Amino acid sequence: MSVYIDKAAQISIQQPLSNEWFSNPLLPTGRLCKFVRPDFKQYLSPAVSRRMGTALKCTLSSAFACVPEEKRSQLDGILTGTGLGSIENTENFLLAMLQGEDGLSPSNFMQSTHNTLGSQVAIIFNCHGYNITYAHRGTSFDSALMNAVVKFRLNEFKSALVNGVDEMTEKYFQLFDQIGYWKDRDVTIEDVRKATSPGTFAGENSVSLFLTDQPSDQSLCELCDTQLLYRPSDQRLKACVEKICLEHNVSRIDAVVIGNNGDNINDEEYRRLVQLLAPDATQIIYKHLFGESFTMSGIGVYVGATCLKEKSIPSHITIDNKALENPQTILVLNHFKQLDYSITLLKSC
Amino acid sequence: MTEKIVVTGYGIISSIGAGVEKTREALLKEEKSIGRVAHLNTSHTDIPCGEVKESDEELKKALGIASEQTITRTPLLALMALKEAISTSRLTDQTSTAFINGTTVGGMEKSEKYYFDFFEGKHTEYISANDCGAGTELVSHLFGHFDLMTTISTACSSAANSVILGADLIKTGRVDAAIVGGTESLSKFHLNGFNSLMILEHQPCRPFEKSNQGLNLGEGAGYIVIERESVAKARGANIICELSGYANTCDAFHQTATSETSEGAYRAMTNALLNAHLETSEIDYINAHGTGTADNDLHESIALKRVFGEKVPPFSSTKAFTGHTTSAAGAVESVISILALQYGFIPVNLGFSEPIEATGLIPVQKTLHRTLNHVMTNSFGFGGNDSSCIFSKYQPS
Amino acid sequence: MDALVQELKEKVIQALNLEDMTPDDIDANAPLFGEGLGLDSIDALELIVLMERNYGIKLKNANEGKDIFKSIQVMADYISKNRTK
Repeated sequence: MSVYIDKAAQISIQQPLSNEWFSNPLLPTGRLCKFVRPDFKQYLSPAVSRRMGTALKCTLSSAFACVPEEKRSQLDGILTGTGLGSIENTENFLLAMLQGEDGLSPSNFMQSTHNTLGSQVAIIFNCHGYNITYAHRGTSFDSALMNAVVKFRLNEFKSALVNGVDEMTEKYFQLFDQIGYWKDRDVTIEDVRKATSPGTFAGENSVSLFLTDQPSDQSLCELCDTQLLYRPSDQRLKACVEKICLEHNVSRIDAVVIGNNGDNINDEEYRRLVQLLAPDATQIIYKHLFGESFTMSGIGVYVGATCLKEKSIPSHITIDNKALENPQTILVLNHFKQLDYSITLLKSC
Repeated sequence: MTEKIVVTGYGIISSIGAGVEKTREALLKEEKSIGRVAHLNTSHTDIPCGEVKESDEELKKALGIASEQTITRTPLLALMALKEAISTSRLTDQTSTAFINGTTVGGMEKSEKYYFDFFEGKHTEYISANDCGAGTELVSHLFGHFDLMTTISTACSSAANSVILGADLIKTGRVDAAIVGGTESLSKFHLNGFNSLMILEHQPCRPFEKSNQGLNLGEGAGYIVIERESVAKARGANIICELSGYANTCDAFHQTATSETSEGAYRAMTNALLNAHLETSEIDYINAHGTGTADNDLHESIALKRVFGEKVPPFSSTKAFTGHTTSAAGAVESVISILALQYGFIPVNLGFSEPIEATGLIPVQKTLHRTLNHVMTNSFGFGGNDSSCIFSKYQPS
Repeated sequence: MDALVQELKEKVIQALNLEDMTPDDIDANAPLFGEGLGLDSIDALELIVLMERNYGIKLKNANEGKDIFKSIQVMADYISKNRTK
């Protein structure tokens, strides 16, 4: 069975719930960039959202924007990837607990659990379908997307919502700073095009994809497949791409979305992957606009799908500053510390 | 018809002991393990738990891991169960294998200890051990090579959902085998979290009891090795049983409360039966979620009656043995269900005396010995994340 | 008692994040749960925490809250009789 990305919505450090970044992006400044918040009241009444943290409000808002009202309760699955869950709530509970183990408020604990995000979407959508949450570092979103494809292949899904959500607090940012995650200065597009030093910058994201088994006039593209590979050999990586292409009659990969983030070790691996898997393809970069998080690869898939829908890859998101018109096939590559890898193939429809 | 998925290995650790043999023995001898914590540093010393007897150091020693290795308790427990699962299955690198791990608390047990130190540059090696995926990664780094790996975090149904994903990956040909399950150590964080929800029992819990107040937290890990029947046969594996059906649904009602009609639990059990092509009358034993909280036990009872009518099969919760091992529960209880099937017994529901008035359901009050063909196990999590799995005696295709 | 009712209204608004409400919006005799403010079981737990932190009243069982949290007025009566701080 085929799978299509029928609609996508994002809230991030770019203009929320829009594709404004495609033609007119915001240029992030600072080492920790926070969500540009949409008007949450458009989707959530104050009574409903009063106990919700930012990550949850963003998840619900992008989910609302992505799935048409009449299809919400009928979703066969709600699949969520989140590296850290609602860490704002986790920290609130942890800090209170470290002051003393009595009289602790339950709301923060309840919201701290990773699957609160996906559960709340199900509760508000009144959706009894499959509900799953992945928290596997840099391939959390990819795991959710792969699981969705698997369920379509098993004919258990006709439609599904896949979310990739992560927020970054000041405190967690400081912790990651202790172990060298971030650059000591702003990251520029030049860093992402050609990294010479370690570290990246933090972004936040809630990306929602509405998947269907039939294309429609508004579909962004076909989602051919997502494969997860753990510490793969070059041979396995190559064989994996060849197999997906063969199965979907793809003879040429026009572009690859790569996760360059300005960290020299991270980016060197993408250079190697492109050489290995699609040396002639146009290379799409996006983390200079969106920053880094455990589920930023979800934005990567969304960026690739948007380019197919718009039939254009603008120069401001390519590694060599050259635009490409009318791309037909895009491969989205992701790796986390050269351990976890994912490969997603998108095809225009 | 798709090929059968068979179980060829299992491993377990909980407060009732390390290993499948010790677990079976403890269940049959009705050994109690819920009591005061020895390792967890909490001020709530009056709250009993099902704590694994071994300290981190003892676990490291048992596993042959250097004392200075950076590792949190959750992956240590995982390694104990994983090693046993792999050795009983005699799985090798020759089989393409996924490792699907369920966990929620992750490395919190160290983060809560060193949190303020982190900001002063101390113990910073534990910063990257905090997230859920970190433990999975470390387990794989220290032991075994997997072709595909991920971490599921759906609170108390995490391990059951790992079983489901692993089976689906095999069915769609992505891997030939999968090591599936979950792990969770006790932490101050979730002990206090459950305490703030006022659902912790101050005595050993009594699942399905009329006046039940709450649950006991436990800790542990469990993994089972599942694979395509033909692959298992070709490599001469010992087939323990079949994974015949499973389902996950969402109650879609409230983050911590259950809908009046227990829609999620009802659908999970019904869909698992459909998936297994089994009639309700064919289920010989249900290992219930049965946490001991008033909310769960009443609503699980309602769902059992909705699914099975007046003929609810013998059922028990083994959480009075192990405590609620949260993210590991689905796997710990899958292993217990498989042992019941394999050795022909139904574990007792400890502590029960009077049924819940509204439903009148009575769990198994003494250990029963009989042949079982089909066993169901339930795992329900926060947010109404409800999963059921069915294990059956192996019938060669 | 009126001062306690007013204080309680403010604390409830804060504890339950009833952002868009003011003390005047809450009728001291109106039911807090069900139709009234539309509160749920987690709110009940938050109210228990509120009583413990502010008035030194510790409930052992969440069910005890049912009778106490009928309305702000009932809650105020209970607190004035049982407070330890």
